[in-house]
Amino acid sequence: MMRTPDGTETLTFHFDGKAYRARPGDTLAAALLANGITLVGRSFKYHRPRGIMAAGVEEPNALVTVGEGGRAEPNTRATDVFVYDGLVAQSQNRWPSLAWDVGALLGPLAPALPAGFYYKTFFGPAKRWMIYEALIRRAAGLGPAPQQRDPDKFAQRGAFADVVVVGGGPAGVEAALAAAGRGERVMLVEQDAILNASLLRDGHHGAGDALAQLHDAGVQVLLRTTAAGYWDDNFLTLAERLVEPGQVPPAHGFVQRLWHVRAGRVVMATGALERPLAFANNDRPGVMLSQAVRTYVRRFGVVPGRRVVIATTGDDAYCTAQALADAGAGIVAILDARPAGQGPACAFPVHHDAHPVSASGGKHGVTGLTAQVGGAQRHFAADLVAMSGGFSPVVHLHMQAGGTLRWDEGAQAFLPDQLRQTGESIGAATQAVPSAPALSLGKPKTSFVDQQNDVSLADIDIAWQEGYRSVEHLKRYTTLGMATDQGKTSGVPALMRLASKRGVPVPQAGLTTFRPPYTPVTMGALAGLAAHDAGVHERRLPLHAALDAAGAHWQPLGAWKRPRAFPKAGESLADSALREARTVREAVGLCDVSTLGKFMVRGPEAAALLELVCATRVGSLKAGRGRYTVMLREDGMVSDDGTVWHLPDGGWTDGGWLLTSSTGGADRMATWLSYARQVLRPQVRASVVNVQEHFAGLALAGPRASALLASLIGEPAPRHMGCAPATIAGVPVLVLGASYSGERAFEVHVEATRAAPVFAALHEAVMAAGGCLYGLDAMDLLRIEKGHVVIGTEADGRTTPHDLGLGGMLNPAGGFIGAAGLTRPALHERGRLQLVGIEATDGGLIAEGSMLVAKTGAPPQGHVTAAGRRVLGDGSGVALALLADGMTRHGETLLAHSPTRGQTAPVRVTAPLFHDPEGARYRD
Amino acid sequence: MTEIRRLPTAPLHAVEIWSNPAAVAARFAEAGAALPTMGRSGPALGATLLRVEPTVWLAEGDIAALLPLLGDDGSATAIGGGVVRFALTGPGWRALLMADGLFDAESRDFDVGACAATVIAHAAVRLWVEAADTVRVYVPASMAEGLEHHWRANLPLVG
Repeated sequence: MMRTPDGTETLTFHFDGKAYRARPGDTLAAALLANGITLVGRSFKYHRPRGIMAAGVEEPNALVTVGEGGRAEPNTRATDVFVYDGLVAQSQNRWPSLAWDVGALLGPLAPALPAGFYYKTFFGPAKRWMIYEALIRRAAGLGPAPQQRDPDKFAQRGAFADVVVVGGGPAGVEAALAAAGRGERVMLVEQDAILNASLLRDGHHGAGDALAQLHDAGVQVLLRTTAAGYWDDNFLTLAERLVEPGQVPPAHGFVQRLWHVRAGRVVMATGALERPLAFANNDRPGVMLSQAVRTYVRRFGVVPGRRVVIATTGDDAYCTAQALADAGAGIVAILDARPAGQGPACAFPVHHDAHPVSASGGKHGVTGLTAQVGGAQRHFAADLVAMSGGFSPVVHLHMQAGGTLRWDEGAQAFLPDQLRQTGESIGAATQAVPSAPALSLGKPKTSFVDQQNDVSLADIDIAWQEGYRSVEHLKRYTTLGMATDQGKTSGVPALMRLASKRGVPVPQAGLTTFRPPYTPVTMGALAGLAAHDAGVHERRLPLHAALDAAGAHWQPLGAWKRPRAFPKAGESLADSALREARTVREAVGLCDVSTLGKFMVRGPEAAALLELVCATRVGSLKAGRGRYTVMLREDGMVSDDGTVWHLPDGGWTDGGWLLTSSTGGADRMATWLSYARQVLRPQVRASVVNVQEHFAGLALAGPRASALLASLIGEPAPRHMGCAPATIAGVPVLVLGASYSGERAFEVHVEATRAAPVFAALHEAVMAAGGCLYGLDAMDLLRIEKGHVVIGTEADGRTTPHDLGLGGMLNPAGGFIGAAGLTRPALHERGRLQLVGIEATDGGLIAEGSMLVAKTGAPPQGHVTAAGRRVLGDGSGVALALLADGMTRHGETLLAHSPTRGQTAPVRVTAPLFHDPEGARYRD
Repeated sequence: MTEIRRLPTAPLHAVEIWSNPAAVAARFAEAGAALPTMGRSGPALGATLLRVEPTVWLAEGDIAALLPLLGDDGSATAIGGGVVRFALTGPGWRALLMADGLFDAESRDFDVGACAATVIAHAAVRLWVEAADTVRVYVPASMAEGLEHHWRANLPLVG
């Protein structure tokens, strides 16, 4: 027991199945130490016994799994979780128990498992990795990921501030108060649960007033919040813990919140991290950082040892000696690396020119430390070794923000230099604390630098011997600094070793880049509320409820949720689609097309604007008529297609033009039209308004569609490519004589909030006429037969109108976007992929995505973009494809080969039109 | 306590002025109305105008009296069928807008009468500070259910 109970131990927690008591405010690490638990985990690679080295987020060793079931958080630093009643923690990477771990047998084999062991051992055919990986994963690793679904929620929030202060130590608090005093909007972020923790550690009083002072000054204070990333334009991501890891949240269910903060200025009061010393067995439980020891003594009332040896390169550790002595511990020796005469005066036994060589002891703690003192080796009996190898300012955010660093020889540390964004570092994050160079005299193989990844001095030496000179190569070869702690305690000691090998100063050895996040961020926090839906956002149709009631099988299409088919009981989706498509060919079908892009264009120069955007002639369209059109990018490639309609004057639509575009391209089209209107033709007297969601759309298709519609609107239906306002079920609608199916068809557009009665009337009439509802799959079968292209498949961003057989539609007067791009000679050379039809010659089906080849193994000449089957007749496979010089190759036979599906079909190249080539079915 | 209310359907139009903006503004002034400046709103002859784009005002309400003032310099297009209106009322409306929000709704400058166009949880919305304790949010109908769910989930965090 390292802390005498005083009755305030009101919390119960469990570690490896055993119950313990803790005080409110204890970290798990403090509580474990208070209960005399020094062995907390096993190391990543060699299963060496590990304890608690630090008191903050830099802790490399004490990683535990906190929580149970789907709420379990593996690899949680015991120093960064505050005990709550009922906390359950498990040690990791051990079997069958922490104390008796079979994996520890790897320890004696460590000399045979150096850096690069995997690269040199596990090679050969890739499939052997299936075996290697299973073995490696079983032998090494961190905590297992939870198998159950995370029951909790994660919030995200934006915020703006004039000043964001990162770090709630004395410097940060002072900076925040000063900024608030100037009337600025200030946010202060602190990863600890309290402010001014360093004052507590260093024995100052009055630390508790800061929070009240900040609140009174109007500062927004976020505790348990880590500034994980500092991005361009003073943008910060902050990860806030609303409850502790594994803790059951309040009723709202949120456990974490990710803040996206735009700051006018960022003040980094991020403090400094103490560096460990590299000596043999420096990873044993009972070897701790000096400031961490002081934190446990003064903040938590825990005394981690009674006979203490302190090894140091500077003055700060002398304060730890005093703290321990004040708590009743005995100071066996202070081993100061500096020559005699340096260091503060004190009453403790001090040895100068003294360097630790090796710690001795067992898995539960140390029994002593051997040191070289003035050229002679001496052994000191101790149950705690407190080490201090100097201080490294926390420059991570500074460097993430593009800042540069400078090396301070006296402090043996990198300090923040130029910052390329608006902000500054202050306090300990800028201070050069004098420190003597640390000597490493112990056995390199057990002198650990990166304790989390089990990288020792010997591993660095091996990397050097094998020719890895760059610190970037060293890092990747040894995995140094690549663990979850991102090398917070290992960076500078490793650089010192590399520099000594190269015989250069530390800065010349190089420096790796600090990248976000500063500490690990839970994936759920990055996904936010959408975490349980894989981040998918859903757009619902105006007729969602009615279509759902009609039996829609839903399909995501982009963010939209659309009916894929309307299967009857026991019917497969494929059978349903074919039945629906046949019903359209033979009778009538009704399909929701509300997601089409729709733009209302008005004004005296509306036609001129449309002739800029559309590559077909538009201005000659008479009122009440429409036309199929394509829109091009400036390079001449097809970017979208749709229809353009000159609406009749009068009636509820009252003139103007309606432009429709594809569902998938609707948002892109809106941006494109805005660009054309606002940038290319700002002077044009026209208005472009996105009415995609204002109108619900229903497609009515089939040989019975015209008569059916006429009976509903009480007048003849518009002819093909004609349009007229009408009324259905008492609701004004706009009827467009447009077809995507190859049948006589109409689009009925109606204000979305009034769509339900229109749908009901159409649905009832369709069913009475022997028709049905149809979905996306049936629509695809119908459009493939008719050779209609889809943006993103046939028009894949590389095809021109000529490639798609639409060259004859282009406005001969030019002047449209893309007209100049189309004149490029390369677009008219041989070998271009062109749209063709493909039919199976063996009566079978064609696999979508197949390569078109002359014979098996031959290079592909094109690919199948969309495959279906003949809706009527024998049901054999037909498809659309892009084929090199395809338009001149009709009649050729090829193979459609799909290596991923293992299918090959003999096919014949045809025109991309399998149904009603004369267009007779468009006429009544 | 902050509340979320889905408002009944109302006439909404996009009013675009494509030429002679000064002349149009003069005609509005003569009729006793004003064309709000960018990011501001105001009443106008039976409607409320919100200026959310350089040449476009969102008009809520009856615009019959406005149409003659536009003349040949602009037009109005109905968009209300695709928009769901919400009113967020109470002390937490600003914080609620910051949930997955990108716009500084907590700025003191975003005061009564201010309006903005922004994105919240992937939905392109327009905001109008109707009163000190109420903001009106115009949401694309397809995203309305998702955004309302999002707000209701976040309500406990804003009070």
